[in-house]
Amino acid sequence: MSDADENPLLTGPGEVGLVRYGDFDFEKPFTFEDGQTIPRFRLRYETYGTLNESRDNAILICHALSGDHHCAGIHSVRDRKPGWWNNMIGPGKPIDTNRFFVICSNCLGGCQGSTGPESINPETGKPYNLDFPFVTIGDMVRAQKLLIDHLDIPELYAVAGGSMGGMQVLQWAIEYPSFVKRIVPLATTSRQGAQSIAFNEVGRQAIIQDPEWKGGNYEAEAGPRVGLTIARMMAHITYLSDKGMERKFGRRRRDSGEINFSFDVDFEVERYLRYQGQSFINRFDANTYLYFTRALDYFDLPATYGSLEDAFRDVRARVLVVGFTSDWLFPPEQNREIVQALLRQRKHATYAEVPMDFGHDSFLVDAPNLYRLIVAFLWEK
Amino acid sequence: MEKQPDKRTVDMRLISDWIDPDSSVLDLGCGPGTLLEYLIQTKSVFGVGVDWDMDKVCSCIQRGVPAFQGDLSELMKTFPDKFFDCVICSRTLQELSSPAAVLLEALRLADTVAVGFVNYGYWKNRLHHLFSGSRTVGEVTPYEWHQGRPTHEISIADFESFCSRHEITVTRRVYLRGDWETPCGYFQNLLCGYALFELTQ
Repeated sequence: MSDADENPLLTGPGEVGLVRYGDFDFEKPFTFEDGQTIPRFRLRYETYGTLNESRDNAILICHALSGDHHCAGIHSVRDRKPGWWNNMIGPGKPIDTNRFFVICSNCLGGCQGSTGPESINPETGKPYNLDFPFVTIGDMVRAQKLLIDHLDIPELYAVAGGSMGGMQVLQWAIEYPSFVKRIVPLATTSRQGAQSIAFNEVGRQAIIQDPEWKGGNYEAEAGPRVGLTIARMMAHITYLSDKGMERKFGRRRRDSGEINFSFDVDFEVERYLRYQGQSFINRFDANTYLYFTRALDYFDLPATYGSLEDAFRDVRARVLVVGFTSDWLFPPEQNREIVQALLRQRKHATYAEVPMDFGHDSFLVDAPNLYRLIVAFLWEK
Repeated sequence: MEKQPDKRTVDMRLISDWIDPDSSVLDLGCGPGTLLEYLIQTKSVFGVGVDWDMDKVCSCIQRGVPAFQGDLSELMKTFPDKFFDCVICSRTLQELSSPAAVLLEALRLADTVAVGFVNYGYWKNRLHHLFSGSRTVGEVTPYEWHQGRPTHEISIADFESFCSRHEITVTRRVYLRGDWETPCGYFQNLLCGYALFELTQ
């Protein structure tokens, strides 16, 4: 029996199975909000399902800080881990690829195939590193719009995403009001608060203070691995919740035995965080981490547009915002504020709150209540 | 107890007569959103509902009715004065922890407030009390004292006296008999099963 025969992610019910990425090369200069211009950029993206004849069934998925364009399916028959939102996307799943054409691209500034700090600057023949312009949520969305135009899609049935993805989702509805029919921002905020900026700063300092960072000019295979690991370990705690961690790990020991009286891994939660840190450095670029956390920090709709109500003045999309009770990074209150401001602008907006213990990451895990809400919203009259 | 017609049909028929086309409406305790769906479809209102219950909010989404899952007092605070033309409070009042505060807040938010409630002064309740000495449990009030949410039973007499104490003007009254269909023209606090009031301040 081959691996392919055994892999339920390949042909199992609800699975999109094997997927391939595409590359969109925008061959014209692109000017960022910070005023800097790059001569061209690439966005790596994936699509699932089929664009219908009237080209009105496209759903754009926006990924979070550590995510990428690979949100469903597998790349190889041997893959054991599918895309990051595989539980949500697929035939018969809440974002149903039998009905919708789903698109997800790696954000501009990313490190999974899209142009970012580790890409070669055509003007110097060397990686951009810190010469890469500061990327904002607005820049990410403008680049995605160029991809959607390239795919000749005249409107988006919906744009969905959580956390940093949720910020992009809001930006889409604000900047392209007649283009976007529905938005689903999850576990997000209209304005990065002090606590979130503070956590990002600790992560950035862990990277910047690592001698291997070298002012951002590290070699592709080297880099601030220690700093990035620590940044990820700390950030990962902010994605969970006290209750969720207690339930998942408690004080369980790694060897289920005695205390070791050492600084090695004693507790299961330590093993888990180290694993998260280690697996992150193998797939993520430290400079992208710096740039993306800065994009989050600079996200402030009220300041950018005068007020949150002003930001939403031209929104035409129907909105479903979902907050999660145990999310303390972007707590329910910050999600509610989005809907309250939209309602004050007399927009078609709904807020729902899902009781879950998984903290900020609740939007990524198996959540029947979230599925129910999304299905209702995507199929509403 | 008589077979009650669908509660929302009663409200739909009566409250929708009070709602102007293209006006804006907040439904406190909107349930599955049937009333708002009807108002959106027939009167093109801007409507939003608020309810605690995720099942109800999910049902609102399916009907294309904007809804806010959460505490209605908290949501009401986020709107400026007279933001709505009408706030609807249909069979919600009895379950609120501070009904007076909610009613006064509703009057801040809207020119008119439509309030509908089951009249606890209804004669069958009185007889039931008198002869059994226990609380009425039936189709309209289905829960025993130890089940469901806390409920303040409201009678028409109590509600009228509340309004006059708070200088709330009642601009319209609709009284229905126990069948929730036939208008009730006299001895309302005794004979009326369901009452609807339109308030202003």
